[in-house]
Amino acid sequence: MNDMLKITVNLTVICALAGVILAFVWAETDPVRVAEEARERELALKELMPSADMITPIKDVVIADKENVVYEATAGGKTIGYVVSSAGKGYSSYIKLLVAVDPDYKVTGLAVLGHAETPGLGDRIQEDWFKGQFAGKGVDNLVVVKQETDTDIQAISGATISSRAVTRGVKDAVIKLREVREGAAPPAPAAAK
Amino acid sequence: MDEKQPNLYNLIKNGIFSENPVFKLALSLCPAVAVTTTVKNGFLMGVAVLFVMTMVNITVSIFKDFINPKVRIPAYILIIALYVSMTDMVMAAYARSAYKEMGLYIQLIVVFAIIISRAELFASKNKVIPSAVDGIGMGLGFLFALVLVGAVRELIGKGSLLGYSIFGGDAVLIMVLPTGGFFAIGLLMGLFNWIEDKYFGGMSSPGGGHGH
Repeated sequence: MNDMLKITVNLTVICALAGVILAFVWAETDPVRVAEEARERELALKELMPSADMITPIKDVVIADKENVVYEATAGGKTIGYVVSSAGKGYSSYIKLLVAVDPDYKVTGLAVLGHAETPGLGDRIQEDWFKGQFAGKGVDNLVVVKQETDTDIQAISGATISSRAVTRGVKDAVIKLREVREGAAPPAPAAAK
Repeated sequence: MDEKQPNLYNLIKNGIFSENPVFKLALSLCPAVAVTTTVKNGFLMGVAVLFVMTMVNITVSIFKDFINPKVRIPAYILIIALYVSMTDMVMAAYARSAYKEMGLYIQLIVVFAIIISRAELFASKNKVIPSAVDGIGMGLGFLFALVLVGAVRELIGKGSLLGYSIFGGDAVLIMVLPTGGFFAIGLLMGLFNWIEDKYFGGMSSPGGGHGH
């Protein structure tokens, strides 16, 4: 009994110490991290819409159970496009994305803001050849295939789940944007097109 | 301290060669397979492990008399998790570009068998300085092994080294997949042992005391 008390106290003290240290480090670093992430997001937004002179959030939306935002990019008072923050559930994490979309619902650019996919496989979603595939594509072509393709999205070999997650996130972003701009969700999205 | 000097050198040598974590002790093979698809990945993971292992060894060594032997394993895990979380938070705030490269690896370190095994087998029985050196030696050995495995897999699997293309054409994709990781580690392990047998025969460590 005495022994049990001893080890309990021992482990409790260690846990408490570790907790105090972590709380202190967190309090010191977290505001810096949040500010840095906001700054990176700003930069990514500007990079996706280089000709915009203003990018303003217009609506909060939910994509993949996550809170996301639709931004409107304007140049000289005219709408030149939209950026939708989005997410996709990947192999081992939620992949956070920014998707640039033009007013005709074609993707113009894609930025990966954060993820924790497998290093060497899933993390290749950040490579330019993969992200570049999305440019110019509409909802109908946002489909992952495993072979080389000119019309669809080619999966990263060994990382099909991550590839699908990104594509899903991009597609959801475009669909959400259409909902936001045209009101209620269209029942059969543009099958005739 | 004088008589400790050759001892420290041996500790480093042990970690890199005669008790190399991957090729000799065969510990932490899971992360070794998972992340060594390229040289760069292997290197970043190796550096992260080197740092955490050294810090954990130092801490365990300092507090070894305080930690009750009956709860030492949870205590070690806690210490490892503490350093990993701290590293993760500090890097996320102050070293963004490095964090983007290494962030994926850092959290994996919590469950590395090699770190807890050094805490248990070495740091809990030795003074602070030898423990720190043991951490550095073992960390360097792990780093060395990961870079070597990464080089083999990147060269054969992607036809490149450090991201620079060496030969074009179709690369052997299987080397980048986990299967290829086992191939590479197995072959390098064999090569390592063969070299040691052939050129350093008899001097190799019997590996005693590492039965588990």
